[in-house]
Amino acid sequence: MRGCVRSYLRVSGEILISLGVVVLGFMAYMYWGTAVREGSAQRTFVAELGHQWGSAGPSLAVLANPARLALGQPFALIRIPRLGSSWKFAIVQGTGLPQLALGPGHVPGSALPGQVGNFAVAGHRVTAGNPFWSLPSLRAGDLVYVETVAGTYEYRVIGKPDQVPADDTAMMSPVPGHPGEQPHQRLITLITCNPPWTGTSRIIVTGLLVATLPRDQGIEG
Amino acid sequence: MYGWIWHRLPGGTGARLAVMVLLAAATGLLMWYVVYPWASIHLPLDQSGLG
Repeated sequence: MRGCVRSYLRVSGEILISLGVVVLGFMAYMYWGTAVREGSAQRTFVAELGHQWGSAGPSLAVLANPARLALGQPFALIRIPRLGSSWKFAIVQGTGLPQLALGPGHVPGSALPGQVGNFAVAGHRVTAGNPFWSLPSLRAGDLVYVETVAGTYEYRVIGKPDQVPADDTAMMSPVPGHPGEQPHQRLITLITCNPPWTGTSRIIVTGLLVATLPRDQGIEG
Repeated sequence: MYGWIWHRLPGGTGARLAVMVLLAAATGLLMWYVVYPWASIHLPLDQSGLG
């Protein structure tokens, strides 16, 4: 009887320790593994975009009709000089977890880069290469460049990073905070999680289009 | 559990040890390349997902 209890205890102890190791491994994966996966996806995307933009045909047609953008498809590059000269990501279509695992995602239904309305982009604060880790450090006047096959759009950040509840989707509407209103401005809204590792609230940064440049310009600085 | 596996492995101590290490490595690789990637997308963690 005593031997029986003892072997139960030993086996359950072994199982619990193994589960602990599995969970630690998962945390390590979330921190390092997702960055590796995102990095390799991003390299592929950047190469793919360069190739597509070299032969302007099909990618222009996609930008003319956003409905043709498939989930997970890259279509733009984003650079924010304030976050470092090497900070550059390909933006994919869609903001589900499978898309955000590969890079910042464009909120389907929101405006495309340079259009009247609100070009809304969400990205992970941590995991997947931590693309929007430093989003809260952006300040009014900082520049955000979004490059598509059609050109480079220069947005200037207005106001300070704002914190909103996670269920507030009004900030993604064409006129942020006023769903249903007719937009006149060309805006960008960058969205990420706050505090890091949680989904309790969002940090949002809004920018206003100040210039449209030919592609490959305005990226230095 | 590990004792149970150990006793069912053939061969001497060295061979058993080698097989145990291989099993552990195989489990680790399966976790890292299959289970964790799946879990990171399907578990409701870090919900930046906006629907």
